[in-house]
Amino acid sequence: MPKRRDILAIVLIVLPWTLLITVWHQNTVSPLLTLRKGAVPRSAHCSPDDGSEIGNRRDFGQSSDSKEYCPPDKDIVEVIRTEYVYTRPPPWSDILPTIHVITPTYSRPVQKAELTRVANTLLHVPNLHWIVVEDAQRRTTLVTRLLKETGLNYTHLNVETPRSYKLRGDIRDPRFPRGTMQRNLALRWLREMFNLNNTQQGIVYFADDDNTYSLELFEEMRTTRKVSVWPVAFVGGLRYESPKVNAAGKVYGWKTVFDPHRPFAIDMAGFAINLRLILQRPQAYFKLRGVKGGYQESSLLRELVTLNDLEPKAANCTKILAWHTRTEKPVLVNEGKKGFTDPNVEI
Amino acid sequence: MKSALLGRLCLALPWALTLLLVVDIDSGRRRSGRPREPGQPAAAANLSLPTIYAITPTYSRPVQKAELTRLANTFRQLEHFHWVLVEDATFRSRLVADLLAGSGVPAYTQLHVPTPRRYKRPGMPRATEQRNEGLRWVRKNRSLQNSGVVFFADDDNTYSLELFQEMRLTKKVSVWPVGLVGGRRYERPLVEQGHVVGWYTGWRPDRPFAIDMAGFAVNLKVILSNPKAVFKRGGSQPGMQESDFLKQITTVQELEPKAANCTKVLVWHTRTEKANLVFEPKQNQDIIHIEV
Repeated sequence: MPKRRDILAIVLIVLPWTLLITVWHQNTVSPLLTLRKGAVPRSAHCSPDDGSEIGNRRDFGQSSDSKEYCPPDKDIVEVIRTEYVYTRPPPWSDILPTIHVITPTYSRPVQKAELTRVANTLLHVPNLHWIVVEDAQRRTTLVTRLLKETGLNYTHLNVETPRSYKLRGDIRDPRFPRGTMQRNLALRWLREMFNLNNTQQGIVYFADDDNTYSLELFEEMRTTRKVSVWPVAFVGGLRYESPKVNAAGKVYGWKTVFDPHRPFAIDMAGFAINLRLILQRPQAYFKLRGVKGGYQESSLLRELVTLNDLEPKAANCTKILAWHTRTEKPVLVNEGKKGFTDPNVEI
Repeated sequence: MKSALLGRLCLALPWALTLLLVVDIDSGRRRSGRPREPGQPAAAANLSLPTIYAITPTYSRPVQKAELTRLANTFRQLEHFHWVLVEDATFRSRLVADLLAGSGVPAYTQLHVPTPRRYKRPGMPRATEQRNEGLRWVRKNRSLQNSGVVFFADDDNTYSLELFQEMRLTKKVSVWPVGLVGGRRYERPLVEQGHVVGWYTGWRPDRPFAIDMAGFAVNLKVILSNPKAVFKRGGSQPGMQESDFLKQITTVQELEPKAANCTKVLVWHTRTEKANLVFEPKQNQDIIHIEV
């Protein structure tokens, strides 16, 4: 009898401790799994060597851009995250530098679509101020309404490029600098609104309305002290153009095929400027006349910095965070000369 | 006596601790499961909102990552949204897997199915196999108990956030205008007294459903109740994909017009130019590989 009671006693003591340890262990481990990218994978992420869990980034070496062999039974990846959301746009912070994004735009069928998808990206960026400058005599209702509906912090300007500039050659002619007057107007506006005594930090970025931007890009440029630079995809007839960065983290040249000897062989989407610098050099603008194709960016940057001052971002210019995408002109052949669809329906 | 009391305490203590811990975990889980933002309290509280399943076929080309990035930047703002991305590939690609993982879209599924070479000729319908694979996944993994809406979202179109609000309450099949398609500024269903009576389009208005892939959404129950309804290849003329699919599951009379009786354009059939890579070297390529 005593023996049975002893055994019972031992079980009653050991069992709860075992349970306790198991439950405690589970509790501390599973939140860690969910915190890592916030993913709770239903099936294991596929990798060639072993069934390692999702979020475990393994270096696949010199594999080609995209192909990787995955065994067929681990084909389907389904991920459902349990934690979610944030307000859009994110609440304003007093600490983060404001990013002033200058977007010149002009009226054409795809305009609303372009601005919509740029806005959908910008809605995620904290402390963002969108300066949209229309190439128009008057601010259009289309853009006015769009900006208001996004909920973004914005400024809506307009300046019409004189016909003499517009009609020179084909509108697609890369030698013709488009958006110049609009960008300059935005710079002038910034100089009027802010002065050097103002302590609010700011970064200026020129974002064309047909490009594609990753959210990481905006966080990279936020730490710009003078002028920061990074690679841009699909420019200069290449997969990407990039600044050349030496071991000391300084830019010493440009990895481009098209005229690499430009003072700043970089695309408009490839650099950002600290607002302070813009205010310190009030004469620095994009040159309007007599600028060769591809030299627009140089015409401004050489008034602001030297090559040595440039700050390389995007992992020392090895990651692509901005793509110079271009949208096809839509086929509107069925509109005819007089237009067929109801012009009151806004597109 | 003392030792007996001590003994009993030792016995009770671990049980009490275990109980406390379990209660704590349970309440903790319930706390963290609730969405935290104050921005959309009404929608968040309504857990029975139908989920939108967006089936996106995609294929590898230079602008793929850019297209998916800006699509993700739109989709990650949506609640109760499940992105079903189907690659035209023999194997799942790392580019897409990494992109999805870092995209911020809370729920997604990555699938892949290659298009047979004989179907990759100009003029032939595209992405048929991929959309069907998406439908197959939905049919296999969702049941009539789930509430949802299925939508076909091509990766180069542009979607406004309002569009998803419109399609969410689809009872059977809903339709709306699409911009920049059919050779016109927009194509749209003609609506009278809340019903679709015809089609306003610049291209083949004699189609049974003269609508673009981005111009309609289907309730999940309709997809599940019509398990044989798929996009067809055999005997399908170009531009008839949508019609051939829709006539298997609905009639024009049943269509639900959205977007203010089909007078607002909330989605645009944009197309991205092919990237100009004329200066890419054939030899002497870069020493490092950068994903674009």
